[in-house]
Amino acid sequence: MSIKLDRRQFLMGSTALLAAGALARPAWAQDAGLRQFFWGGQARADRTYGVNDLFAAAEDGATVDSSFLGWGDYWPKLATETAGGNAPDIIQMDYRYIVEYAKRNAIAPLDEYVGDVLKLDGFDEDQLEGGKVDGKLYGISLGANSVAQLVNIPAFEEAGVEPPNRDSTYDDIRAMGEAFKAANIRGGMKVIADGSGVEPMLDNWLRQKGLALYTADGKLGFGAEEMTEWFTLWNGFRADGICVTAEDQALDTNGPLENTMVVLGKSALMPVNSNQLVAFQALVQDELTITNYPRIAPGVGGGHYRKPSMFFSVGGSSANKEKAAEYLSFFVNDLEAAKILGVERGIPCFPTVRDAIAPELNPQEQIALNFVANLGDLLGPLPPPPPAAAGEIDISLLRTLSQEVAFGARSAEDAGQYFVTEAAAILARQA
Amino acid sequence: MATQVDTTAINGADRVASPSFWSGVWHNHAPGYLFLLPWFIGFFGLTIGPIITSFYLSFTHFDLLTDPRWAGLDNYVRMFTNDPKFAASMRVTFFFVIFSVPLKLAFALGVALLLNRGMRGLPLYRALFYLPSLLGASVAIAILWRQIFAGNGLVNQVLAVFGIQGPSWISNPNTSLWTLIILAIWQFGSPMIIFLAGLRQIPQDMYEAASLDGAGKWRQFWRITLPMLTPVVFFNAIIQTIEAFKSFTPAFIISGGTGNPINSTLFYTLYLYNEAFGFFRMGYASALAWVLLAIVSAFTAFSFLTSKYWVHYDD
Repeated sequence: MSIKLDRRQFLMGSTALLAAGALARPAWAQDAGLRQFFWGGQARADRTYGVNDLFAAAEDGATVDSSFLGWGDYWPKLATETAGGNAPDIIQMDYRYIVEYAKRNAIAPLDEYVGDVLKLDGFDEDQLEGGKVDGKLYGISLGANSVAQLVNIPAFEEAGVEPPNRDSTYDDIRAMGEAFKAANIRGGMKVIADGSGVEPMLDNWLRQKGLALYTADGKLGFGAEEMTEWFTLWNGFRADGICVTAEDQALDTNGPLENTMVVLGKSALMPVNSNQLVAFQALVQDELTITNYPRIAPGVGGGHYRKPSMFFSVGGSSANKEKAAEYLSFFVNDLEAAKILGVERGIPCFPTVRDAIAPELNPQEQIALNFVANLGDLLGPLPPPPPAAAGEIDISLLRTLSQEVAFGARSAEDAGQYFVTEAAAILARQA
Repeated sequence: MATQVDTTAINGADRVASPSFWSGVWHNHAPGYLFLLPWFIGFFGLTIGPIITSFYLSFTHFDLLTDPRWAGLDNYVRMFTNDPKFAASMRVTFFFVIFSVPLKLAFALGVALLLNRGMRGLPLYRALFYLPSLLGASVAIAILWRQIFAGNGLVNQVLAVFGIQGPSWISNPNTSLWTLIILAIWQFGSPMIIFLAGLRQIPQDMYEAASLDGAGKWRQFWRITLPMLTPVVFFNAIIQTIEAFKSFTPAFIISGGTGNPINSTLFYTLYLYNEAFGFFRMGYASALAWVLLAIVSAFTAFSFLTSKYWVHYDD
């Protein structure tokens, strides 16, 4: 009896201990190392881990505890961790969110480390500017990229047309589309995907007109007229079979690359980002390349810009800010690290680093590097960071509205007016 | 001992009995409560706590990064006066509930009637029919569904045999919600198993008596089977309605989280999720969650209130 009681007490004690242990765990889970969090796929993760190992070796055991998620899951998780006071030390940051995070002190200014542990002599000036909020440096650009059109080369050969080059206009695309229709290759493949719901493509088209998606004070930079003109342009393309049908375009949910028009074989051209050529080539048998977006008229440029593809920032509550800044310096400066990273995150921002890795790049990476380095008259100034609600206007307004127009549920005029009204409401709305 | 008896006599039994009552409870059940401790922590920390927090947050503006700001009834007012997407998601969800639940129950009952005849290999069929229910809410099945109903998917390949050129079911706003309703019907396994159990409870002698009186199979179904089964129908209807209101994963996967094409698959829960985790509007999303709770409660209460007119319990 007494033995039984002891055993019971023992069990009671051990249960309580386990429960207590479960509560206390975070206290000893923290060690002296850095925590890093980024979005991306396995390929990016492998490259990043490689650099982390180099850093640990160079810094004598400075460990970086790293994890990653897809873009869609990344932001909720990061916001939750930040709200819980548990933000990582090294945070991959996007141009779209950097102002929001900086203004709320969720990321730390890095100016005090520049020239000390953070060595940025010779760093591309525009990429340095892109990481600043209110004059203070909050993010180190990990590479530059630009929007681009993905081109399926064999499809153009089969259709007997020259693929678009840097002078091609929207009218040229229409002519190519007619040729594609006449050639009727690959079960009626169209020349181009439906870009009417693609925010960067709209942005590029507006910039060529001397307008902007958003102004510096976070307002819409254009009116209902332009929006109607944009939808009308694509209505024409759709009606004449130049771009893919509404039904096909709706398959692309902006999720996995596998559901995009070029990968599905529905079109030969499609808007992407320059650093994505490598990822798309891995999914398609045909040889791919990239070129710029069409011009609105011959000789009109300035639509493109070199965008910081992503940043590394340091968590505002990090206990290890100096070490984190040291890591960032290593990440963008070290030549061995650069060779591991390639151009997967965009074109490196030090000319010396670009020169060092250029000979080691594969053909697709070379194309991406040359494209971003030689934009010429296509290049315009970097636009101000978009307002906080830009993501919602893109996802919940522009894409849905473009589908309503495409499926004939709304006229281009109606959609143009509705977009402007609703975007203003979203921009004014509180959290 | 003697003093204790004295105080009892003077102050009444309660005051002495109550500490000894509680210590008795503790003495007898302490290990039980300790073993339950992890569950208690989970229940209060992960269920009750968040529910109370969400109720509070529903009256605030909260973006996760900064502290919540009190907003009074703002969120609720906006929902009912100035939110076309809320209205759209309501329409989609009610359409889904109204069509998927009765069809699913009818299908489940039909299969249960077939399986109830007693056949060889019955356990195997039961397991096979139940399988989709187990897999139903999973991401894998939703992706499979996307493949089946895509433009060149299985459904259209079968239709092509008959010379029919089918639409791209999942990316056409006229058909996309129906593919989700069919997916829901296909997961008829769990109500089917419950129907089967209900059918086994109906006494065989009733059917014998009925057939002696000359009632055909069809008449037996309407006069015996269905009335005897109403408590089970009632149970299944409530459970499936709640499930349908909560449906999330298939729409999330098939539309890539957007509820598109043209908001045709924008389920209420999907809209709530996007508001919370897509646009960091936690206060508004909490208000949405409470409205959903109110709607489901109202539906359930309505079912219970009307049940006395059509649910027959054996007494």
